[in-house]
Amino acid sequence: MSEKPTIEVYKKNIEDENFQAYKCVSCGRIIAPPSGTCYGCGGTKMEWAKVSGKGNLVAFTVIHIAPDEFQEETPYYVAIVELEEGTRVSARLLGVDPEKPEKVKLDIPLKLDYEKGKSGHTYLAFRPA
Amino acid sequence: MPLKNTNVVSAYQTKFGRLDGITLREIFAEAVDGATNNAGIPKKDIQAVFVGTFIPEMLVHQGHTAPLLVDYAGLRGVPATRHEAACASGATALRSAVMAIESGIYDTVLVASAEKMTSVTTNKATEALAAAADDEFESSMGLTFPGVFGIAAVAHMAKYGTTEEDMARAAVKAHKNASTNPLAQFQKEITLEKAMTPRYIAWPLKLFDCSPISDGGAALVLTSNEKAKQYTDLPVKIIGTGQASASMNLCDRNDLTAFEASIAASREAYKMAKLGPKDMDVAVVHDCFTIAEIIASEDIGLFKPGEGAKALRDGVTALDGDMPVNPMGGLKAVGHPVGATGVKQAVVIYRELIGDAGANQVANHDTGIMHNFGGTGATAVVTIFRRSDV
Ligand SMILES: [Zn+2]
Repeated sequence: MSEKPTIEVYKKNIEDENFQAYKCVSCGRIIAPPSGTCYGCGGTKMEWAKVSGKGNLVAFTVIHIAPDEFQEETPYYVAIVELEEGTRVSARLLGVDPEKPEKVKLDIPLKLDYEKGKSGHTYLAFRPA
Repeated sequence: MPLKNTNVVSAYQTKFGRLDGITLREIFAEAVDGATNNAGIPKKDIQAVFVGTFIPEMLVHQGHTAPLLVDYAGLRGVPATRHEAACASGATALRSAVMAIESGIYDTVLVASAEKMTSVTTNKATEALAAAADDEFESSMGLTFPGVFGIAAVAHMAKYGTTEEDMARAAVKAHKNASTNPLAQFQKEITLEKAMTPRYIAWPLKLFDCSPISDGGAALVLTSNEKAKQYTDLPVKIIGTGQASASMNLCDRNDLTAFEASIAASREAYKMAKLGPKDMDVAVVHDCFTIAEIIASEDIGLFKPGEGAKALRDGVTALDGDMPVNPMGGLKAVGHPVGATGVKQAVVIYRELIGDAGANQVANHDTGIMHNFGGTGATAVVTIFRRSDV
């Protein structure tokens, strides 16, 4: 946990279903996806931070036409999720019907999950809490 | 202070669409000839070229395009640099050209652009376009460009009550304006019903909410006050320019109902021009998707946040409305050869301001604003033009 966070490890943590955010050593701000510089104080020293996995739904779309790599997975949700810790991430949204997006309400509570894609990758995902 | 020394003295757009059998350099050369020789401006007067093109590396397997393109277009030896900012490549090339003239380094320069997108499959072109978003954190989980604007649409709908029908109206208007523009990719009007056809690309965006994949080019000649009257009696001045960046990732933005780089760039341009939105007679905005036109019309201050859709519904932004937006049909119906779009937008403003827009002429045409943004809105450039006799 003490090593300097890198993008490679950030992505591997998601593959391993062990999502961790960056945390600014100077001011404690939680940052994900990674940034080289803290959006709050401009600090450049980061460490890993566990997150509660609680968030809420800011906005979303349902992808119907995708590049080849993802086409088999369509239709699928991609959402903007605000974590309890204040940062926002892009993630897949699970547990809701992609054919009925008009039923999905914004601002609902979500919890962290993961999705094993047909593409072979594991995506950061959330589902209604 | 408003810029004083930059004059647009010629402008040319090639046909946009699927230009079978014509390569990138041939498209570029047609645009250059149109803005130089065929406009009475000898190529030997061009002192530098600012080239706009997005991603020929992936589309036609060609890098280092600026010298290659200007050589083919008969400008061998002239300094040429390519400007890349995804869909805003054209406007960043234009802005650099403006700065070059205002600095006094050059008198007469060419801004020229082209993109060849149909030589690869649609999937390959989509992949190339996706390179304008953050590959590590958004594209890699399957977020596409229509998806980015689908998210913006959902946020705008939730906050302001904008509807799918409102967005469809932007498509209907674009096709109507393009129906009398012979350079447009689509010259057929569509009904609201057709625009609402539920072929979802990225919900809530449907097929008719999206701009097409296109080939095309455009070029402009800019020159100093001293030289301008040699070329035309009616130059158009560039009096304000602004540019800003935003995060690539949508998730790193606080407000998804607006594009902060567009707001910042327009403020800078208005401040420089010492004008405000009320002084604009015509606007050309970056409508890569229908929702993008609605949001851009708010971001550059033509309408209050949340009122862009109402303006569209009420016909305010129609060709004969009080604040015409995209009078020749926008990216949506004219086409979107990515790197050429920002230069083509300037061609439209130039033609409107000098009264050369034919069936697409707007009634008042002293001053115009152009908004061009790149990718997810991470680069935005706003330029303000005014006819020199105003
Ligand atoms: Zn900090």
